[in-house]
Amino acid sequence: MADSGTMTRRTVLEALGAAGVAAVVGVTARPRPAAAQSFGQNETVDAALKRVFGGKPIKDGGALIKLDVPLIAENGAVVPVSVEVNAPMTPQSYVKHIYVVADQNRIPIVTRVALTPESGQAYMGANIRLGETGDVRAIVEQSDGTLLQVKREVKVTVGGCGG
Amino acid sequence: MSDIGKVRLRLPSSIKAGDVVRVRCLVIHPMERIERDKSGKIIDKKYQYIDKVTVTYLGKTVAAFDTTQSVSENPFFAFAFRATDPGKLAVTFHDTHGATYEGTADVTFG
Repeated sequence: MADSGTMTRRTVLEALGAAGVAAVVGVTARPRPAAAQSFGQNETVDAALKRVFGGKPIKDGGALIKLDVPLIAENGAVVPVSVEVNAPMTPQSYVKHIYVVADQNRIPIVTRVALTPESGQAYMGANIRLGETGDVRAIVEQSDGTLLQVKREVKVTVGGCGG
Repeated sequence: MSDIGKVRLRLPSSIKAGDVVRVRCLVIHPMERIERDKSGKIIDKKYQYIDKVTVTYLGKTVAAFDTTQSVSENPFFAFAFRATDPGKLAVTFHDTHGATYEGTADVTFG
């Protein structure tokens, strides 16, 4: 395309067409309220952590958190994950949230579990999807706002996120 | 697909008062994943997946899961609660199409 810089009828029409598409997309995307924006979004893990935790420092929680994931997941569509936190569950101090984050997934935030002192023990388990080999993190938010995390790498033979 | 919404809830066979009990639950649900067209663009539609799970025991919330499409098809969840009194344990799944599926179990001591 030697003449790509010049303004021909074709380039003008293409530009108009692109603008039209952009306008339509803008109109359909805007009316969605922020609340309807689901908890999981297509984003990088850094963007996700920033959105959820607002850039608060996350400390290493290796001493408290037990993250149980397989080393190798043959089928990325079903990967069992369980998280156990060795922390008291009293009304004064308890584990408020457990997050499971899969770094390489298109939707990195997998689940957030809100716990109460009635839970008795900070424990959760779930089957998750993994798109490809990467870290799986468990992030724990305690009632005083402290954030702790542990991560483990899971090798995935067959990805489970499709698309 | 006719099985969609079937909930299975599993408690340990014997529970003593005051025990911290681990419960496993499973719901039959497709958990639709994001689809893309040939050019790799995400198809914009209302995907049907479970985005909320709440667990109540004696009417009080014990645990609440917010989930995304990164959770497997026919999702399985596990959680713990302290069994203080005999009563009803209920797990409710909500999906993005507004459907709710509930599974209940009676907590009895024996």
